Amino acid sequence: MITIKSLVKTYHTNGRKVQALNGVDLDISTGMFGLLGPNGAGKTTLMRILAGIANLSGGSATVDGHDLSTEQGKHAVKSMLGYLPQELGMYPELTAYQFVDYMAILKGLDEPGERREWVEKAIELVGLTDVAGRKIKSYSGGMKRRVGIAQALVNDPKLLIVDEPTAGLDPEERIRFRNLLVKLAVERTVILSTHIVEDIAQTCRDLAVLVHGSVIFRGSPIELMQAASGHVWTLTTSAMEKPNHDLSVVSMLHLAEGTQYRLVGASAAEYPEAKEVQPGLEDGYVWLMKRTGQTEEVLA
Amino acid sequence: MKRFSLRYNLLTSKLDQLWFPFAFFGVFVIIGILRGENYIVDTTRAYLGAVIPLLGGIMASYSVLEDPSLELRFATPVSTLQTMLERLLPSFLIEAFFALAYQLFAAAFGADLASMYGLWGNLQIAWMVPTISLMALGFFTAIVAAKSTIGALFAGMVWLVELVAREWFLASDIGKYFLVYMSIFYPDNPALRNNQFALVWLGLILFMAAWVLLKKQERYI
Repeated sequence: MITIKSLVKTYHTNGRKVQALNGVDLDISTGMFGLLGPNGAGKTTLMRILAGIANLSGGSATVDGHDLSTEQGKHAVKSMLGYLPQELGMYPELTAYQFVDYMAILKGLDEPGERREWVEKAIELVGLTDVAGRKIKSYSGGMKRRVGIAQALVNDPKLLIVDEPTAGLDPEERIRFRNLLVKLAVERTVILSTHIVEDIAQTCRDLAVLVHGSVIFRGSPIELMQAASGHVWTLTTSAMEKPNHDLSVVSMLHLAEGTQYRLVGASAAEYPEAKEVQPGLEDGYVWLMKRTGQTEEVLA
Repeated sequence: MKRFSLRYNLLTSKLDQLWFPFAFFGVFVIIGILRGENYIVDTTRAYLGAVIPLLGGIMASYSVLEDPSLELRFATPVSTLQTMLERLLPSFLIEAFFALAYQLFAAAFGADLASMYGLWGNLQIAWMVPTISLMALGFFTAIVAAKSTIGALFAGMVWLVELVAREWFLASDIGKYFLVYMSIFYPDNPALRNNQFALVWLGLILFMAAWVLLKKQERYI
């Protein structure tokens, strides 16, 4: 459905040239696709290009055969698009129903009966039916995100782009949101951009890791995990100092017998008591970053 | 597909777009009453020819870029031209409403503006031309700078400079065509029609330039 070839994006900010995307190649088909990377990797720029909001500086990008370097192509893509931006701005004085209804009008759902049906369906899908008549300014962050996804779905889009959708949500909201995205991905392409590895692990069968505007990994979550095989250990110690020797601490667990560290690195030979364990997606991601010299960005 | 709803257009407009001109209208009604009927013509000219255009310039600067859902709107197939018109036209119509309301107030107070401007239409042109040109200037500079405040400041600065140096503009061979106060304060000036023509054209050119710039949506999100 989406074909991206040698995509380049440069822009100027404060008088200096920034290379946001540096020759990105991707093919994305129907289903849930995860785009992972640290902050500033170029994820939002890529999302905006795919949404037809930002222009390409070089290379090509097509969605369902529509060329995003042309105005006609962008128009066609926007007609089949559902978009939830990272910073979701809404009209606080409107109710959720009014907001979704307004977005439906902007997307071209002119016929009132048909529009009402779609609006009600989208609001129901995100579980806001009971409170749809309340003004958005009275909503919590999670509820606002749900309104955001409802407006994205109201035109039954073939392509759904969600940029950092779970940022600021509580754990329950996050799980609920992830489940909703998985459900939606059954019959459409959903691109989930995030720097939260857990979100990708729970939802995507296909992913890419973007760093400094370049794709450094493309494959399945399992492949990313397997790449870290033999490079992940747990170490339980009562020592106050964190393990070092070029090992990254992915997590810490405070136990009665000391602190259990989860470590990722090339070798744990310095710690004979360290036990090798099966890697998770987060371990795979950290190992990938270490291999490519991006560790500080990830663990900062 | 029309992709437009007047109801939502009004509901999503900022209330400042209404309160701001309403407040100035109220102040000038009070000034008109305090100064009395001997000065009502002067007060009306000041309101129509100076205040209304300034408010138009400021409101136009804030009209599009302050939309909290601009990124979502850009992700829909709504054209840039429609986005511009949807936000600029209400601002202009609000200005028009208060301009006409003040004329009614002035007429009720005994103002005779016909002796100065002749046809009713001439009086309307006298406030519309500077309003359109300052709206275009404010909007254009806001779009160039991608910042509403810059547009409002620039429109205000031009308004002030022309107000203070209007005699210089009148005397200048080129400046007289760009004096926004000519229509209202110098209706007998021989350069009046050319001035109006130049200001309207300049306004249209600035609106078109802003339209072209606004198409580069990523600059504004």
